[in-house]
Amino acid sequence: MLAPGAGLLVILLLPHDNQRAVRWVALASAVFALALTLWLYVTYDQSAGGLQFAEHYPWVPSLGISYYVAVDGINLPMLLLTSIVYLTGVWTMWDLTVRVKEFFALMLLMVLGVYGVFISLDLFFLFVFYDVALFPMYPLIAIWGSTRKEYGALKLTLYLLAGSALILPGILYVYFESGQFTFNLVELAKAGLDPGVQKLGFFLFLFGFGVLAGLWPFHTWSPVGHVAAPTAVSMIHAGVLMKLGAYGVLRVGMFLCPEGLAEWAPLFALLATVGVVYGAFVGLAQTDLKYVIGYSSVSHMGLVSLGLATMTVGGITGAVFQMFAHGVMTALFFSSVGHIYDRTHTKLVPELGGMAKVMPVASFFFILAAMAGIGVPCLASFWAELLVFINAVRVYPVLGVLAVCGLVVSALFMLRVVQKTFYGPKNQRFADKPDMVPAMIVPRALLAGTILLFGLAPRLMMDLIGTGAAALVGGFK
Amino acid sequence: MPVILQKAWLFLPELSYLGMALALFFISLARRPDTARTQRWALAMALVAVAAAAVAAGGEGLLFWGAYRVDLFSQVFKLILTVATALVFMICRDLSGVEDRYHPEFFMFLSTCTLGMMLMVSSVELMSLYLALELSSFSLYILVPLRAGDDIDVEAAVKYLFIGITASCVMLFGMSYLFGATHSLYLRDIVAELPLLIHQPAAVVGMLLLLSGFFFKLAVFPFHFWAPDVYQGAANQVAAYIATASKAAAVALLIRITGLTGGTNIYLTDVLIVFCVVSMCLGNLVAIVQKGIKRMLAYSTIAHAGYVLMGVLTMTAGGYAGSIFYSLAYMIMNYAAFMVVVVVAAGGRNLNISDLAGLHRRSPLLALTLMIALFSLAGIPPTAGFTAKFLVFAAAMQQGYFWLVLVGMINATVSLYYYLMVIKAAYLDEPANPQEPITLSLPMRLLNYGLILAMVYLGLWPQHFLAVCDQAVRRVLGGGA
Repeated sequence: MLAPGAGLLVILLLPHDNQRAVRWVALASAVFALALTLWLYVTYDQSAGGLQFAEHYPWVPSLGISYYVAVDGINLPMLLLTSIVYLTGVWTMWDLTVRVKEFFALMLLMVLGVYGVFISLDLFFLFVFYDVALFPMYPLIAIWGSTRKEYGALKLTLYLLAGSALILPGILYVYFESGQFTFNLVELAKAGLDPGVQKLGFFLFLFGFGVLAGLWPFHTWSPVGHVAAPTAVSMIHAGVLMKLGAYGVLRVGMFLCPEGLAEWAPLFALLATVGVVYGAFVGLAQTDLKYVIGYSSVSHMGLVSLGLATMTVGGITGAVFQMFAHGVMTALFFSSVGHIYDRTHTKLVPELGGMAKVMPVASFFFILAAMAGIGVPCLASFWAELLVFINAVRVYPVLGVLAVCGLVVSALFMLRVVQKTFYGPKNQRFADKPDMVPAMIVPRALLAGTILLFGLAPRLMMDLIGTGAAALVGGFK
Repeated sequence: MPVILQKAWLFLPELSYLGMALALFFISLARRPDTARTQRWALAMALVAVAAAAVAAGGEGLLFWGAYRVDLFSQVFKLILTVATALVFMICRDLSGVEDRYHPEFFMFLSTCTLGMMLMVSSVELMSLYLALELSSFSLYILVPLRAGDDIDVEAAVKYLFIGITASCVMLFGMSYLFGATHSLYLRDIVAELPLLIHQPAAVVGMLLLLSGFFFKLAVFPFHFWAPDVYQGAANQVAAYIATASKAAAVALLIRITGLTGGTNIYLTDVLIVFCVVSMCLGNLVAIVQKGIKRMLAYSTIAHAGYVLMGVLTMTAGGYAGSIFYSLAYMIMNYAAFMVVVVVAAGGRNLNISDLAGLHRRSPLLALTLMIALFSLAGIPPTAGFTAKFLVFAAAMQQGYFWLVLVGMINATVSLYYYLMVIKAAYLDEPANPQEPITLSLPMRLLNYGLILAMVYLGLWPQHFLAVCDQAVRRVLGGGA
């Protein structure tokens, strides 16, 4: 788990001018992190379920703060996702030449925060890591970004930290109302909270974390931020960071305040559905490839929220699976677009055209991601979306059907974008641009392979998530 | 150990500062003052005083017929004060912001001011408290107009003097009420009487008026008007001193005095809540539009005074401990920000935020220190500022002030905006005309690393200092002042 931390220290100690070494250290730490996560994934005992590999050290005993980390069926997929996106993100940014050391240092700090949020079971540390994951976004976008980068960076940072302005009071509120004087999530959940407390607490967590999950109407930072960010940051951001929000709602909000969830679930589902439909329709009108992906993210994250709001084992499993699938898919999207943009210096749909002939490999990856986004069978998202829809239609018939319609619209706009960008007449200006070199294919192939693997064998993931989701739903009764 | 020696041991930090002020007085008599040498001597003596404060940290006892109390609480604050003063001395190498002929006096008045504050945090009798406060205030009244060049310093000094004197008068008036109600000037008598009397209007009014003097020092609304002008008008080093040491002393006294009431009076708490909310909102909102970095920091000080007050107004041990922690964290991070301003502002001029453009290229280390200090001020983990905010917010939440915490958090987000503007200037903007790189001497580099480490250390491992704060607060609350 501490691989990015160690990498960060090493990078800070490296001299500025040694860009090669910085890159290699970042890559090594990423590979190491992925290896460790895979090891966790393989050795996690699914039949036993529950929390495993726990580590527990008291930190500030007088306040009940302890360093408590463990993995279960819910955060393990997230860790795997983070590791994959992190590795491919570092690889994608191999050609970076401006302020290399700072870039990788900040990126590693961000990833460190992300890992921290996923594994922490102590509210204090969860919050600390949450902010650690967020604030490097500002310099990362503002320095290395494009398209209105300062505006995008500022908007994103302020939105997200306004979200944490709700989370911290929520955490403190729960802490004192429980009367337990501990930040330990498991113990707090065991103690049970007063229904009134849960109502307010869940409200705070829902909107606090919801901002980061791109919950409508607090999503406006997300497309702007994605467009402004450099490729790897977009990948990590849309692929992993937005999942932090949904994960926070799940792990903190739903875990601690099940009765509050029951109270707010209709509103939650409504907002989620509005997000799905709204994202799809707005995406229809976009001409910038990154905006298209940004709005499709809003739409897909709406599906995650909808799955969570069903409060069923299937729905939550689907939501977590969707988080994973969407993370990998979006990373693939951004990494393909990043490649096209680096070569052609445009990401406007009307200007491109016939790219499939110019850059067949990059186009292949984009189209694959687009198909995953639409929910074509045999790809990971299909199973996730299927699970969410089945449960959503059962629990919220009207909203569920609306969300399915939203997905149809998003299929429409995806196909339209694919058709216009990659087929059709070739733009002669870009005819001589090179395609991906083999070394650059590897990270994309890794992402694509992940989508296919879990699309063909969804049980690898679903059983694992199911163990965590079942435990969680058991707590609702 | 003979009694006299033991008492001297208790009084050691103050004695060392007294000696220091005297020595600087004699240096100031020299015909041709040598700033560099004076600074070295002053710094050396200040470091000795830090050592003295550390040595005397475990002391406990009463001096001067019970009017002066040395305990862990006062010693912690003395340590903070001496460290802050030593830190300010470290950035006084280039004193071109102060007129040449006043350089030795500059150091002397800084030492008397610190001496006054040290006496203040130990005083447990209203008269000596007042005298100590005036000793430090008058030193500052003199320090502000020492600035060289333009005349804004005079305006600032006059404002400071008038508002300060008004606050003193109000405070004396409040003391007379308290004396009338309890027939004693000794805090230990007052604390015995006051909880019984606290529901009388005279006692509440007296209490509030007495607190005004410290609100003035801390720049809490409605006593904040001087802060922006004084920060702007005073030399950068003086502003750094006012922004760090002087705040810590005020927090100490707020804790000592509100601790007297036993925390039972609802009116007092309500008034403090209003002050706290208005200070936070006003400071943060006005800071957004500031162009000068010192003015911006001045308004952010007002906002931070609000956060500290949040810990104080809970009147619980946890809240007080949080406030002590906050004042230490604030001292370090605000000092770090001012240190960068002092170093970048060659010739002691006032700096606009836009002047920081390109700082990351001129000096990466300074830019890094500035960034961490500002993130810490904004309360982003894992820095000291976050832990401090967390502690005071937790204490307020414990007392059920849910809305207060929410307002505080929203304010923290607002403040992030203008801190980010400064970071953006330092890291992203390109200067209009290329500027020289800034080379830092070895001690300055060490100072930078030290500050960064301190901010992160207090953010990640607060428990040691927090335990000390807890102990200190127990001395104040349990020991009956």
